[in-house]
Amino acid sequence: MDQAMVDALLGIGRFVLATTFLLLLTVPTAFIVGQMELKIMAQMQLRYGPNRVGPWGMFQSAIHGFKMLAKEDQTPDRADVPTFTLAPWMVFMAAAMSMLVIPFAPGIVAIDSEIGVIYFFAVIGLSVVGMLIAGWASYNKYSLLGGLRSAAQMVSYEIPLTLSIVGLVVLTGSLSFTEIVEWQLAHGWAVMWQIIGFPIFFIAAAAEINRTPFDMVEADSEIVAGPFTEYSGMRFGFFYFAEYVALFIMCAILVTLFFGGWLAPWPFPAQLEGFAGTLYGLFWFFLKTYFFVVVAVWVRATLPRVRVDQLMGMSWKVLLPLALINLFVTAAVVLAFNL
Amino acid sequence: MTTTKSRPAPEQPSEEPRIPDPIALDAMATAAPRQEFFGFDIVPPPDRPPQTEREMEVYTLGDGEMLVNMGPQHPSTHGVMRLVLKVRGEVVIDIDPVLGYLHRGIEKLCEEATYTTVLTYVDPMDYMSAMHNEHAPAIAFEKLYGIKAPRRAEYIRALVVELNRVFSHGLMMGFLALDLGGLSPILYGFINRDQVVDLLSSISGQRMLFNFFRVGGVNFDVNDEFLSRLGTWRANVLDTIEMNEKILTENEIFRARTRGLGVLSAQQAIDLGVTGPNLRASGVPFDVRTARPYSIYPELEFEVITQEGGDTYARYLQRVAELKQSIHLIDQIVDRMPHGPVQAQVPGIIRPRPGRAYAAVESPRGLYSVYAISDGGPNPYRFRMRDPSFITLQVMPKLMPGHLIADTMAVMASLDPIMGGVDK
Repeated sequence: MDQAMVDALLGIGRFVLATTFLLLLTVPTAFIVGQMELKIMAQMQLRYGPNRVGPWGMFQSAIHGFKMLAKEDQTPDRADVPTFTLAPWMVFMAAAMSMLVIPFAPGIVAIDSEIGVIYFFAVIGLSVVGMLIAGWASYNKYSLLGGLRSAAQMVSYEIPLTLSIVGLVVLTGSLSFTEIVEWQLAHGWAVMWQIIGFPIFFIAAAAEINRTPFDMVEADSEIVAGPFTEYSGMRFGFFYFAEYVALFIMCAILVTLFFGGWLAPWPFPAQLEGFAGTLYGLFWFFLKTYFFVVVAVWVRATLPRVRVDQLMGMSWKVLLPLALINLFVTAAVVLAFNL
Repeated sequence: MTTTKSRPAPEQPSEEPRIPDPIALDAMATAAPRQEFFGFDIVPPPDRPPQTEREMEVYTLGDGEMLVNMGPQHPSTHGVMRLVLKVRGEVVIDIDPVLGYLHRGIEKLCEEATYTTVLTYVDPMDYMSAMHNEHAPAIAFEKLYGIKAPRRAEYIRALVVELNRVFSHGLMMGFLALDLGGLSPILYGFINRDQVVDLLSSISGQRMLFNFFRVGGVNFDVNDEFLSRLGTWRANVLDTIEMNEKILTENEIFRARTRGLGVLSAQQAIDLGVTGPNLRASGVPFDVRTARPYSIYPELEFEVITQEGGDTYARYLQRVAELKQSIHLIDQIVDRMPHGPVQAQVPGIIRPRPGRAYAAVESPRGLYSVYAISDGGPNPYRFRMRDPSFITLQVMPKLMPGHLIADTMAVMASLDPIMGGVDK
């Protein structure tokens, strides 16, 4: 075998290993995020929250997962079976696949792609297809309404979400997440450079993954559970799984883009060398990511849901112009000061 | 206890029955294809044709319209309410409330019960304001029997109904937020509710269906536990309410969603017979406590609060204002409570002279009144309740057209109907 063949095989092996590891990582991630939501929201609402399963009830969301596995998986009589079965997988895979480009620590990234940013926004947007299919295949009016809501919402929030990043891309001159983090090592966290870009990204990201106050898609007081109404058992579990994983991923990307990824904050050394440096990076990365998960839970416990038309109006009338202004200002600054 | 009634039957209205011929229905049922489910035959329900012009209007679908059945198993339909929505996309065009899923025949039960036991049957009607449910029949039966409750009993009555109003309005704030997607206010509302319910249970012995009122008085005098709990509750009630107010009243999303939503004009409200906070939120200063004074309300410092606008936000503000007013009333009642007995002398089985009596009270949902006819027997010949929730519900088809599905539940929650009272 020549060298190129060996390199290719090594690359494939590395890819298989990384994807397997990331797919396995989704399980504890979903459980931890789910548990945080249960417990933190309980504290905010002056109740105990889960406190029976394991110490401080910490295995409650794992038990929820096993419960999903044990439940009967029903398919409605008039559902379109192939698409009905496929939809949860599409939503889950969209979330899981977007994990590939997240740099957890120096060198700890499945694919250090040159176009990681484009890949990420392309893949995370795929979940809308799954939602739409789920809504249509269930043969339920509430599901259909939810599916159409998800299409409208996600498509319109994709635009400010992506545009809010373009300013940062112009600033850093790179589409690779790793390089963006390394740029922040030299120039400070990007949130200081992108004061308008960060809130736009935060709001649009919440809408993109259906978090309160933009959880139109599964608004339980309006359309029961949206596209998930007819799902049961582990198929329903996958939607839930995907939702928690997506929350984690959005927070991870937020941290990577605006809060220095694996870089430690000011009083600490930004990064260390060697294996200790990897652990150090992982620690700060997860700490910052879970901080934003807590913020998302906090928002959920505080705010009511916005209405469908207000949601769309906000996207097109507020966020999009702001994102464009942000882009032009950033571009002008980069041009003027030759950054 | 039942009695044989040898009474003249009231005149029946001679109207054509609207239900189709049962034989025709049966034929339709058997003509439908039979299905089997684990060995049981399933006979599908006959396709019921529209019975009235109104039904024809709602159930005839135009181009691009569909019917969405909201309830009775929808997660947020306040009990077992069923709303048939005619929608085009997400816009509600028409709405048809379908009632009767919680019908328990309370009116008929009351006519079979003695005057004393009627007061136990009316409790579960409007289960959020059981004290008010008992208040009106107690007044009506006292009028019928010609006795008066002692003054201390009247004060205790006023105290417990105002406490009841506080938790009812407090929970309404939470339910409205829950239907708009806010998860916390309902739990903050339940803090206050739990304290009040404990308070009322320490005086009446029960948490929800109190059975506290008696003809000619109340069941128990205030006790030490009640007084100490009342003090604790009074010390922190405004704080627990403020928790909800902070999270809702000035919240931009909450205001954007409720302002201008479901506007009920004053004229419309009067025409449709809406009473209570919903009417006052439309700017009509009508309150039974001042318009038809009963109990000790004339002796208390009391002002009718109104709002302008008549939208969902105004109805919310009205509830908050009335809640605070009730706390003010409770303070006055506790200050002025006289000594004395709490129960007038009444026989075990009350047999009023033939006659009729009407009594109305201001329940948290509006004018709740009862009308009782006595024929001299131990139980009322006719006993009729006017439940404000039932009347309020008929404004839904007037308010909803043009709004979105998402707003249906918000408007519903702001009108605050309780299905136990609607279906009786």
